[in-house]
Amino acid sequence: MKNLLAIEWLKIKSYKTFWILAGFFALLLPLWNYGISNGVMKIGGGNINLISQAYSFAYVWQNIGFWTSIFVAFISILTIIITTNEYQFRTNRQNVIDGWTRLDFYHGKWQIVLLLSLLTTLYVFIVGVGFGLAYGSTSGFPGKIEYLFYIWVLSLNYYSFSLLLAILFKRSGITIGIFFLYCMIIEAIVSKFVNWRLDTKAGNFMPLQCSDELLPFPILDIIKAMAKMQDTINPNYYVGASFVWITLYYFIGRKKLMASDCKFAV
Amino acid sequence: MTGTMLSINQISKSYGPIRALNGVSFDVPQGSVFGVLGPNGSGKTTLLGILLDVLNADAGSYSWLGGAAPADARRQIGSLLETPNFYHYLSAMDNLNITAAIKQRGKDDRERVLKLVGLYERKDSKFQTYSLGMKQRLALAAALLGEPKILVLDEPTNGLDPAGIAEIRELIKTLNQQGMTVIMASHLLDEVEKVCTHVAILKKGDLLLSGKVDEVLRSEDQVEVNAEDQNRLKEIVEGMPLLKSIHSSSNGLLLSFTEKMATGRINEYCMQHGVTLSHLVLKKKSLESKFMELTNF
Repeated sequence: MKNLLAIEWLKIKSYKTFWILAGFFALLLPLWNYGISNGVMKIGGGNINLISQAYSFAYVWQNIGFWTSIFVAFISILTIIITTNEYQFRTNRQNVIDGWTRLDFYHGKWQIVLLLSLLTTLYVFIVGVGFGLAYGSTSGFPGKIEYLFYIWVLSLNYYSFSLLLAILFKRSGITIGIFFLYCMIIEAIVSKFVNWRLDTKAGNFMPLQCSDELLPFPILDIIKAMAKMQDTINPNYYVGASFVWITLYYFIGRKKLMASDCKFAV
Repeated sequence: MTGTMLSINQISKSYGPIRALNGVSFDVPQGSVFGVLGPNGSGKTTLLGILLDVLNADAGSYSWLGGAAPADARRQIGSLLETPNFYHYLSAMDNLNITAAIKQRGKDDRERVLKLVGLYERKDSKFQTYSLGMKQRLALAAALLGEPKILVLDEPTNGLDPAGIAEIRELIKTLNQQGMTVIMASHLLDEVEKVCTHVAILKKGDLLLSGKVDEVLRSEDQVEVNAEDQNRLKEIVEGMPLLKSIHSSSNGLLLSFTEKMATGRINEYCMQHGVTLSHLVLKKKSLESKFMELTNF
């Protein structure tokens, strides 16, 4: 149904929390990068600041991309809240009673997630072009533009993961808690442990980690380039892994929604 | 009454070990006010939830409007289930906008239904600022949006004051006269008797009976009789024509008949068989006691 997205838009267009969280992302991303480029954070001795070096074209994408991979948390929370709201208000039931199928409800949310990931990418592109022009010439444009694609993959991964958690846990507080617990603690520990224990890179392929690997801390890349170290894993594997996980989220969420009664948070 | 608006076939549903519905089947004819009657916990709300696809049945099937796709059918059904479900941060108009968009009809109808339920003055206030009564009225407005063919109401008068109850019942009758088929769940026998044309009675998930209200809930007279020799009395009345049942009561025997029976005829019959009645009383059996009898045994 074509108008699913239009109806999702009706739900959120006058929702203050939506604009506040989107606003945080939209403001903080350029402000933070501006701060970094002006040497708020410094790595390197004397007048050399390694992480402020990379705001001209060619490198601007992976630099902004890394910080984007942190700030997407705002939009992840946004995704969780607009989904758990449906359970809290029982509007998930009402939408179905009024004439949606359960799949309509599910696909409406997926379309929002897809849209948010595209808007994130577009916004990063605009910010990136701004920094690129401010710190260099257009000659390097577009530079390593493939990082923009990685940003889209990463944001789609984070947002659809958030959507799945919201559908599984239904309450905003618990879901946001689990989201941060998972992405900041559980996955960090488990992936490091797996990598160390098995002496492979298997831990890098965990649900969110595989996308994080696409946008590593920029300094690492520069150091690796200096040391002529080659990353052993082709980023295409991480892209592939990300899409495998995203597909899996879709089918787990779909199964959950179709099989169970339309319950709601109490 | 030309067609069948809803046909239910052998629907069953369990919550773990508890059987909420047990092979329930009935048809809802077009133009009827169909009451689903039963005490609390009899499965009424579960049944409506299944019919509107928010609950999954374990077995059985149903079809709306002679077999329309369920989601298409639901767009032509106005529903009021349990509590009002709306986006708290949106106004009545914005909430109805979403309802209209999902139903693919009735966006121009919003002001009319808000006037109808007396909420027009507050149409731009946010849902979260409404009182409980106003929330219920908005839910009713949403149900009436776009003039649906069928109205599904779960305990529509629950929690309303007497004036509100009368208002809702009047509204249901008016809408029905305009051709809308109404399906309503209720635990109030009195309400079903006053408002409905048809009824299905549920008890612990079993369909006890269904049909026209004046047939199913026909009030039934009982006659209480006694004589000095009660055993002899019992013997002879057992042979009476049209007798349906005999129960013992504190004052003698309670007789019910399949047709209306004049007390004089009973007296005459007993005299002819050599028994003089010492006690003969016509007892109107209340609908409540009939309902209790239906749902308790």
